[in-house]
Amino acid sequence: MIMKKMIALMTAAVLAVASLAGCGGGSADETTEAVTTEAAGDSTEAEADDTAAADDTTAASEESDMAYVQDKGTLVVGVTNFEPMDYLDESGEWIGFDADLAKAFGESLGVEVEFVEIDWDNKVLELDSHTIDCVWNGMTLTDEVLGAMECSNAYCNNAQIVIVPADVADQYQDVDSLSDLTFAVEAGSAGEEQVSALGLNYTPVTSQADALMEVAAGTSDAAVIDSLMAAAMVGEGTSYADLTYTIGLNSEEYGVGFRMGSDLAAALNDFFAQSYADGSMQELAATYGVQAAIIEQ
Amino acid sequence: MAILEVEHICKSFGRTEVLKDISFSMEKGQALSLIGSSGSGKTTLLRCLNFLEQPDGGMIRVNGETLFDGANPVTRQESEIRKKRLHFGLVFQSFNLFPQYTAIGNVMLAKELLAKERPDYKVRKKAIHEEIRARAEELLRQMGLTDRMENYPHQLSGGQCQRVAIARALALEPDILCFDEPTSALDPELTGEVLRVMKELADKNMTMIIVTHEMAFARDVSDQVIFMDEGNIVEQGAPEQVFGHPREERTKQFLSRYMGE
Amino acid sequence: MDLIMEQMPIVIQALNVGFIQTLKLFFVTLIGALPLGLLIAFGSMSRFKPLSWLMKTIVWIIRGTPLMIQLLIIFYFPGLALDNNVWGSGETGRFIAASIGFIINYACYFSEIYRGGIQGVPVGQEEAGLVLGMTRRQIFFRIKLLQMIKRIVPPISNEIITLVKDTSLARTIALQEIIWAGQSFLRGSQGIRGAVWPLFFTAFYYLIWNGVVTVLLGRLERKLDYFR
Repeated sequence: MIMKKMIALMTAAVLAVASLAGCGGGSADETTEAVTTEAAGDSTEAEADDTAAADDTTAASEESDMAYVQDKGTLVVGVTNFEPMDYLDESGEWIGFDADLAKAFGESLGVEVEFVEIDWDNKVLELDSHTIDCVWNGMTLTDEVLGAMECSNAYCNNAQIVIVPADVADQYQDVDSLSDLTFAVEAGSAGEEQVSALGLNYTPVTSQADALMEVAAGTSDAAVIDSLMAAAMVGEGTSYADLTYTIGLNSEEYGVGFRMGSDLAAALNDFFAQSYADGSMQELAATYGVQAAIIEQ
Repeated sequence: MAILEVEHICKSFGRTEVLKDISFSMEKGQALSLIGSSGSGKTTLLRCLNFLEQPDGGMIRVNGETLFDGANPVTRQESEIRKKRLHFGLVFQSFNLFPQYTAIGNVMLAKELLAKERPDYKVRKKAIHEEIRARAEELLRQMGLTDRMENYPHQLSGGQCQRVAIARALALEPDILCFDEPTSALDPELTGEVLRVMKELADKNMTMIIVTHEMAFARDVSDQVIFMDEGNIVEQGAPEQVFGHPREERTKQFLSRYMGE
Repeated sequence: MDLIMEQMPIVIQALNVGFIQTLKLFFVTLIGALPLGLLIAFGSMSRFKPLSWLMKTIVWIIRGTPLMIQLLIIFYFPGLALDNNVWGSGETGRFIAASIGFIINYACYFSEIYRGGIQGVPVGQEEAGLVLGMTRRQIFFRIKLLQMIKRIVPPISNEIITLVKDTSLARTIALQEIIWAGQSFLRGSQGIRGAVWPLFFTAFYYLIWNGVVTVLLGRLERKLDYFR
């Protein structure tokens, strides 16, 4: 009896982890944005109903997410170390365009902002288990992201671009020439979506920086990373002087992710509109050299 | 009065009957040898006397006191058994010395633990300890191990280990000292020193029960010999009679096998 | 090379912070798992069948699944089930969750070693104690315990050395131990970007710490060499 219960519990736990770790978005690819969001929302609600019997006492599921955050007094922002969006300055404080914007948003809500470094693969899991309250880290709004999180409006343009060693860059100036290369891409990133859609050979690695290292070490022929990152990390005068970027595979947009169904996304949209209108957003973008990429709110 | 009376002891392991209705008695100061081929039940009998096995039925009396009665469940309780087994000492075939204690440590340990149960222990702690130590040194001297007292078991030869084990058993002053094939695990050249010590004990009228395959030794030191086969006592009597003029066919066969070698 | 010398002070400082987190996890795990393992060992050897069965099942589950999954479940599952973060925010919560995961996991491994150690002491030792009129308690503490310790020190040492390296798994729940600290310079941190060497350099920390642990455990092993 005990055995059965334990196995049941373990199975439930494993399934929960597996499903929330990223399988959720898979079926939603062909549908439109709005429908995707709604469908995924329904499925989480259904799941919540299943477990609701156990936690009738906690009203948390009915309470608004904004109230939850304001009640505890902190907005926990999940980040990775990603210059120029979120990174540590020499004194160990989180700065960057995203970090500073998040601090301003926290102020508007009347809460403290706490930054927590997360494993990018686990971002949805971190949100759903309430260990963070939002993902604000130059996150590309892919179908997968839109299907698993309540996302804000796009606020920043980006592209996925190809990185190759500088000495062979001449040979890879169009999409057709890429077919015989082996790519390294960050697992679950917009870059992975692009190379996968083009049917290219690729190896998923744990971060964009790891993807660059693969190319530098020669273990992969090429990488696909965010253009904002490439500008800062690749080419003359950077750590990867021997690498360069060639073509862009798409253009895309950054957004901020909240728990599915959260009312904080709408609040952030209001905040974006207001700070774009008064120019404070553009001012902040200029500090970090991303003013050209800002999207009108 | 007999110092030991064993009546109708039976013991089975699963479906195998190892002891079938064993009865015998012995007098104080006697040496009794148990002989028989392996599997005849002699070691199990010895282990029953030391309460390492519980007989299924029968009775064991020492000095007229009933230590075990198969019909009386009280005598089967572990708390009862602990004190009663002190009437017996047991020397194992494989010594079973405590490896982390020196020779003298092995001899003193049990006595010191028992001393803690004495009412005057706290007051006379030091004196008691000295007494126990002096007694242990004396025993090891008798065993010819004066210069080995501070050695650990792994630094001693098999013969020396077995002599420490005998001293350890003697330290608790048992009424009856049992030996379970004490020389079987020894190299042939080392058996002599152990047998010599046992002979000395017999000469001092220590009451002993010896399970052995050393027939010459059994004949030499015993006052009484019991031959066992398939869980039964086949023949018992004075050594001259059992070894010299065995009555039973099975005894004759067994002896011719052993004496012939 | 000059660049590395320039980056060195910042990197070492960050790695030291990560390494302190690694060491904290290491010691907390040992302090928790060594005694808990003994309890589980006694539980699994208990004559009370349901208890021994439960313990054996737990040990089977923990030893049969990867520590990485256990860490993910321990850290994320409560929040998913309760809609509330039970671990507290920030680094402390992650550390507590990681500690609990490591303690349970290592206690199960230790319990099997303890069990082998206890059952590996020859029956003759217990019997010798019994015929000398000792209680079972005295036999355990005076005779069997030290022999058991002597038996378990080498396999426990192996586990402890594995633990030093296993602490790096805590990064799956984003505990910022030393490897995380080393990797941060790849992504870019404190003005250093795309630097690979800090990550490789963390190996020296493990190597040196394992050297210290090996020497200390070797000493303990030699201390018990006086008997066999």
